Amino acid sequence: MNRTVLIVGIVIVAAIVFVLFAGLGKDPQHIDSPLVGHPAPPFALKAVGTGETIDLDTLRGKPVVINFWATWCGPCYEEHPTLVANARNLQPEVQFIGIVFNDTDDKIMRFLAERGSAYPTLLDTNGKTAIAYGVGGVPETFFLNPKGTIVAKFEGPLTTEALQAELAKAMR
Amino acid sequence: MIATFLLLAFLQIKVPDAAQFVGPPQGTPLAGAALERRTMEISAELRCPVCQGLAIGDSPSQMASNMREQVRELLSRGYTEEQILSYFEKSYGQFVLLKPKFQGVNALVWLLPVLVLAIGLVIVVTKAKRLEKTPVPVAAAVAPDAASEAADDPYLAQVREMVEKS
Repeated sequence: MNRTVLIVGIVIVAAIVFVLFAGLGKDPQHIDSPLVGHPAPPFALKAVGTGETIDLDTLRGKPVVINFWATWCGPCYEEHPTLVANARNLQPEVQFIGIVFNDTDDKIMRFLAERGSAYPTLLDTNGKTAIAYGVGGVPETFFLNPKGTIVAKFEGPLTTEALQAELAKAMR
Repeated sequence: MIATFLLLAFLQIKVPDAAQFVGPPQGTPLAGAALERRTMEISAELRCPVCQGLAIGDSPSQMASNMREQVRELLSRGYTEEQILSYFEKSYGQFVLLKPKFQGVNALVWLLPVLVLAIGLVIVVTKAKRLEKTPVPVAAAVAPDAASEAADDPYLAQVREMVEKS
């Protein structure tokens, strides 16, 4: 009987230890997007500076990179040069879009004036677009194939290697 | 809600709408105190994605505030609790639900405590039954010890002798 109790105890403790260790390697902020493999939520938002309305539906036919960011986000400063350089290289074959949420026009304008801009930056005033994309923090980048399906989501500051690897999925 | 719609139309902007994800509203539009009460109730069930284990109803973050506002708007349009939770789940996955669903690996959260309790109960019952079947012969077990104890302790031997004489 004592042996049975010991075995049951070991099994329970082993299960708990396994679950704890499995969780240790994970980023608690990471969210697997259920949107990957599904059509991107449609939006038409005003571009900061030009006032032009950019409608996602009109961008079908080429891969689209949608980057959610904000001027109050440190890692967004880090990845901005990567996005601008790649956009200059890859547009118009690939369309880049920036969506800023929880921010103001003047701060965004100052950021872009100081650090450069190569694609439309749209303002998500009430955060509804970010919520529909399941954005949990910035920066987050979504990669859409020419049919408008989300094929990848990248969390954190993009490097050129990461951007090209994710973009390759949108080109298949 | 009408003001929001007119503002969006004026600005010529279009944002993703819940109808595209969960269809038309299936409930009654709420207003006033009932709207506020239901907003807080549903906000207690949704996890703030930028916080550590906080519900959007308890978080002061801008993201949580945006999500609460969306819950309020959806309730005012007649969306049911089930539709609203489903809408957020379609964007964020089950991560956003503070009460995990009874499916897949999440089912373990509900099943494991019951399973562990059942195993514990079986062990206790089995042990109790075994104890009943093999009672310890108390007199036999105690007697040799008592005898040897008496032999070792002269005072105890003396007491026993006196008891036997009386």
